[in-house]
Amino acid sequence: MKPGKAIATLGGAAVIVLTCALICWSFYGVDFQLQGLSVGIPKAGAYVAQMFPRSRADFLWIKQFCFGGGGGDASTGITQPLLETIQMAVVGTVLGAIPAFPLSFIAARTNSFFRPLSVLFKTLLNIGRAIPILVYAMIIITGLGLGKQTGAVAIGIGSFVMLCKLYAEALESVSPGPVEAVKAAGGNGLQVFVFAMLPQVFPGYLSSTLYSLELNLQASFILGLVGAGGIGFELQDALRIYNMLEVGVLVLVLIILVNLVDYFSYRVRVIFS
Amino acid sequence: MTSNIMQISNLTHRYGRGAPVLQGLNLSASPGEIIGLIGLSGAGKSTLLRCINGLVTPTGGTVEVFGQNVPKLRESQRRRVRRRIGMIFQEFNLVDRLSVIKNVLVGRLGYANTLTSCLHLFSKLDMDLARSCISQVGLDGYEDVIVRNLSGGQKQRVAIARTMAQGAEIILGDEATANLDVRTTDSIMELLQDLSRKNNTLLLLSMHNLDVARRYCPRIIGLKHGVLTFDASAQSLDDSAVKEILVT
Repeated sequence: MKPGKAIATLGGAAVIVLTCALICWSFYGVDFQLQGLSVGIPKAGAYVAQMFPRSRADFLWIKQFCFGGGGGDASTGITQPLLETIQMAVVGTVLGAIPAFPLSFIAARTNSFFRPLSVLFKTLLNIGRAIPILVYAMIIITGLGLGKQTGAVAIGIGSFVMLCKLYAEALESVSPGPVEAVKAAGGNGLQVFVFAMLPQVFPGYLSSTLYSLELNLQASFILGLVGAGGIGFELQDALRIYNMLEVGVLVLVLIILVNLVDYFSYRVRVIFS
Repeated sequence: MTSNIMQISNLTHRYGRGAPVLQGLNLSASPGEIIGLIGLSGAGKSTLLRCINGLVTPTGGTVEVFGQNVPKLRESQRRRVRRRIGMIFQEFNLVDRLSVIKNVLVGRLGYANTLTSCLHLFSKLDMDLARSCISQVGLDGYEDVIVRNLSGGQKQRVAIARTMAQGAEIILGDEATANLDVRTTDSIMELLQDLSRKNNTLLLLSMHNLDVARRYCPRIIGLKHGVLTFDASAQSLDDSAVKEILVT
């Protein structure tokens, strides 16, 4: 065997051994026990079962909770918090997408900007992506206080760092041929972007933005748990008073919402691709 | 005698610190000429074409086109020169997601208002011209077809219509027929020949197919390692001349 090949084989074996060691160490670290699972899963199942309606009264409560009317603890309804969750996600996506669009040009490897500026900006984006949206929310709370606006701004920052990267990647994948052709026909920089680059990156931009909206719906749900409003806030309330039926409805509504956005994104992507 | 539309003197170019791609090249051409540019891959053909329309700034020498030294021009001035020079490419370089007419209208960008053109708004005059160019290349009825649905030959016709919409006085072809079959190559070359005849357009076409070069280009120039080693009529391109150009 040639020395180079032997080193490559040894290297490959070392990677496999290290990966196995990491997996074992992690399982050991989390005290993972199959015996514990066998007890825990049925318990969790029983807990989840409480989220499902079992009587006619439960169904009536859900109807009242979802569509309003009547009185009692269900009369506040789900409509308002649901709309708040959607609004936070939409505002956050817009706040992230608008600055990400021009600034992604700096982040793209194929840009003609000053190289160190591009590297610095990409580094900042990588740092920004490592910070969870919850941390942004905690920082913003100090300035804006608790509420929906804080949630929307925190989501906006999270969206911005993610979309900047995705938009930049779309720009990096632009085929240079049409760009050269528009330049060769006498087009200026803006015309090159509109006629040669935008038609190529638009489906990618759209797809990334819609994906971001999907993630932001989940983020706005989680931020609600820490007081930013929306159905997350309702969920926290329901968990506090141990109203498992309400928890079930809220989780179901989020699942439906995310899937509706997913379907809508798919249809839009099909139209534009 | 017809005056030169293009005069290249002592043209040299190298990319970064690499070996020179063009070395002291001299060339002149008149309106209406059809020139075949032959040479091996890496001989400097594409670089020469891009020095002519200012997409590449050479490291030395002069490239006078329409009486202006292109390398010395500012970008805005270069754009004004470029709009009079059409370019067609091996990969067509069309915007696949746009319609035929939008791709042809790209040829009018150098003349159009930036703001309105970026909103895809063109004057009736430009629209009529684009339709007429599409008709002249035999693509009547294809105006609204998305380019990615066309065949290679049709795409190259769209690219030629784009140069026609530019009102190009010079057309540079960068291996424009390399991806086309024999019949389509002939029809594209005939189209270009007609265009040159009707509008007195100078055609400078780089190509690998010597048979096509001999049949359609009355004048042939050969490049070898960035040096012009042959510049004569197609009849003079005998086997020994070909060997001289193509053997490393």
